[in-house]
Amino acid sequence: MQFLSKTNFDFIAMRKVSWAISAVLIVLGIVALFMIVFGNASLSIDFAGGTEIQGSFANPVEAGTVRSALASAGFADATIQAIQGSTPNLFNVRVKSASGGSESESTVAERLRDALNKGIPGNSFKLDSVQEVGPTIGAELRTQAQIAMAIALVGILVYIWVRFDFRFSVAATVATFHDVLAVLGLMFILQREMSMLILTALMTIAGYTINDKIIVFDRIREHLRVFRKKSDFVTVVNGAINQTLSRTIITSLTVVMASLVILFVCGPVVRDFALALLIGVVVGTYSSIFVAAPILVEWEARRPKRFK
Amino acid sequence: MRGDTWKIVLTIVLIIAAIFYLWPTFQWFTMSASDRTAMQQNNPDAFANLQKKALKLGLDLQGGMRVVLEVDKSQLDDNAKQDARDRALEIIRNRVDQFGVAEPVIQAQGSDRIVVELPALQDPERARNLIGKTALLEFRLVESPENSDLLIKRLDQIAGKLSPDAAKTPTADTAATPFADPFADTTKLAADTTKDTTAALANTDQSNVLTQYLDFNGVAYQVTEEDYAAVDRIVNNPEIKAALPADVELAWAIRPEMINGRQRRQLYILKKKVELTGAHLKAANPNYDQFHKPVVDFELDREGGEIFGKLTGANINKPLAILLDGRVESAPNIRSKIRDRGQITLGGNATFFDAKDMATILRAGALPAPVKIVENNVIGPTLGKDSVDAGINGLLISFIVVAAFMIIYYKLAGVVADIVLFLNILFLLAVMAALGATLTLPGIAGIILTIGMAVDANVLIFERMREEVRTGKKVAACIEAGYERALASIVDSNLTTLIAAGVLYYFGTGPIRGFAVTLGAGIIISMYTALVVSKLILHTRRNAATLSV
Repeated sequence: MQFLSKTNFDFIAMRKVSWAISAVLIVLGIVALFMIVFGNASLSIDFAGGTEIQGSFANPVEAGTVRSALASAGFADATIQAIQGSTPNLFNVRVKSASGGSESESTVAERLRDALNKGIPGNSFKLDSVQEVGPTIGAELRTQAQIAMAIALVGILVYIWVRFDFRFSVAATVATFHDVLAVLGLMFILQREMSMLILTALMTIAGYTINDKIIVFDRIREHLRVFRKKSDFVTVVNGAINQTLSRTIITSLTVVMASLVILFVCGPVVRDFALALLIGVVVGTYSSIFVAAPILVEWEARRPKRFK
Repeated sequence: MRGDTWKIVLTIVLIIAAIFYLWPTFQWFTMSASDRTAMQQNNPDAFANLQKKALKLGLDLQGGMRVVLEVDKSQLDDNAKQDARDRALEIIRNRVDQFGVAEPVIQAQGSDRIVVELPALQDPERARNLIGKTALLEFRLVESPENSDLLIKRLDQIAGKLSPDAAKTPTADTAATPFADPFADTTKLAADTTKDTTAALANTDQSNVLTQYLDFNGVAYQVTEEDYAAVDRIVNNPEIKAALPADVELAWAIRPEMINGRQRRQLYILKKKVELTGAHLKAANPNYDQFHKPVVDFELDREGGEIFGKLTGANINKPLAILLDGRVESAPNIRSKIRDRGQITLGGNATFFDAKDMATILRAGALPAPVKIVENNVIGPTLGKDSVDAGINGLLISFIVVAAFMIIYYKLAGVVADIVLFLNILFLLAVMAALGATLTLPGIAGIILTIGMAVDANVLIFERMREEVRTGKKVAACIEAGYERALASIVDSNLTTLIAAGVLYYFGTGPIRGFAVTLGAGIIISMYTALVVSKLILHTRRNAATLSV
């Protein structure tokens, strides 16, 4: 079976259109990033902290039941834990701070109690204690993660620089930023909240998308060695994208399949994660074809270098 | 091909190793609840071992332990109070990180509490120790044997008068005169002792209330574990404490030691003056000394090195007590002047684990204030059984969908890709089990994603093979060329990600580290399976008339 026989699209010629699209995506991503940094975006309990209540039910109940009762009352992201202590049917529920912390802890606790009493009829819930809880991802952890990621990025840059060329290195990095920002922006528009899981998804997307770019670059490098004298740079790049096109699409397709399975089968907890992956794969595939290689072409057109 | 032989052997060895590492996991998860209870009762060691070796499930899937700590700020000034909780939180996070890929939840609660949640842990006692220790490291000198002897005799007198059966003997002066500093004037003390001893001769029964338990070894007094509680009661008695000289303190060893066939614990008489604390510590690492005893190698900063050099230089051949949280870890003799590098010998029946834990808490630093465990519970999974089932279903469905697609698209070569895909998952789970990693629902989602991505290397190779087939080459040549030409792409694309994984592991902490481990393992595994295993299988087709790709 084969989807595409020998293609010969002129992807480079479409770069004006694709760059307009990309510009919109990047602006969106930057807006989302600012919103997150300045606290206007919705952050999960991982980053924002929230309210913790403890209380007990009159009769035994499953964590899953408590989850669905809370979800239908608007607390979809609540962390629920059964505690095996001296009190039977003791539960601990954590929810993130309400929008901008405008609601007091006790109000949140009352709403949680009402949600549990209404959602699980015939099994009364008695509230024992209310506490404010801090974020699970503290400031120091965030700083360390940022430093680690920055160093990782430099490592990748250097590797591509050594193995390919400085221009390839820059193009891959720019395209990767483009993809991560695009996912961030689209998730923001869809009003998904930022959690540790989304962050993991972004890191995964960055890894996937760099892979994707390098495979196209590898083909460009190979063709440059062979065809440099016969054809111009644009033809070489176009040829490389076309020849890797079926691989790009097949791999994207398998990752999309996997993401769809997570989205539809694995339950609400990882839904946002799957959504981010899905968007990331689509954007990453698009940018491998329409963003990364065209940067090389544009650069070469302005300051010809004659690649080795 | 001759070169294939060792690859076949290696692959078989790897598969056997993977099955070996996953076998406990298989046993554990196929066991019924009643079988588990039965095993726990009949064979607790085997049970603990099995639980330890099986792949651990995270807080979301299986629950774990929840410890709530309270930071005692009473000793701190207002400035230190402000951020004491946050500093304690970071220090505890660093310690917990050393558990490995444990996916903990650590968060502040209220103004002075910290919640630590750890997924199904095999050793809750060790976890509590690691989390709850203040980690105050002190170096102090041990009182000389002569003075120690005098003091113990003195205390014995007082203890005699305190002892519960002392009530039976009517004594006029039950209230002993507390001595402010018996060493201030040794002659006077000696005289006092003689006087008291004579006085005590009337009540011979009480003269050895304390000493009957003690056995001096030149540095410390040994107490058998059975007598530990009794002696501890005596030395903690307020009157005994009041009788101690102002510059001296009694301190117990951290753990008992097997001496002459009995568990014994050392009681030290120490100078109160703290010569050096862990604040000057730069590094700490577990190690073994030349007798294969666990030790902690440490390194001090420049200032600490100077202090330590002076201290050790002036006290050669005297014991130096090393205390952790007010208990004596060990009191080795100073053999020569030590500057910025030293070794803490672990006393008692210490194991390498103890050395590792000690190094961990020393490295992470001392807590700004003492903490106490106010709540210690077992917690259930945050997700219901339905979510767990959904995760496993997702894994299976994803595998079937991707595998079916590969066969439809690449025919026989697709089957090869599927075998490789299966091995990928097997190896990845085995690596996770071997590293003691914790599987969470997001982790399962990550594995599902791996299924989608793992076929990439094979897709690259097969696409290249198709290109070769179109040029009309022979099958064997197509296979060779396919692998050869895809190699550079596969290596370059994977190495960049591997570099990222390595950096994230080295510089990251907590969840970042866990992510890096699975990412790195996944890359190495998929490169091996794609470049070695799938090639091995395809080699069996090299004499076929057509290449089914």
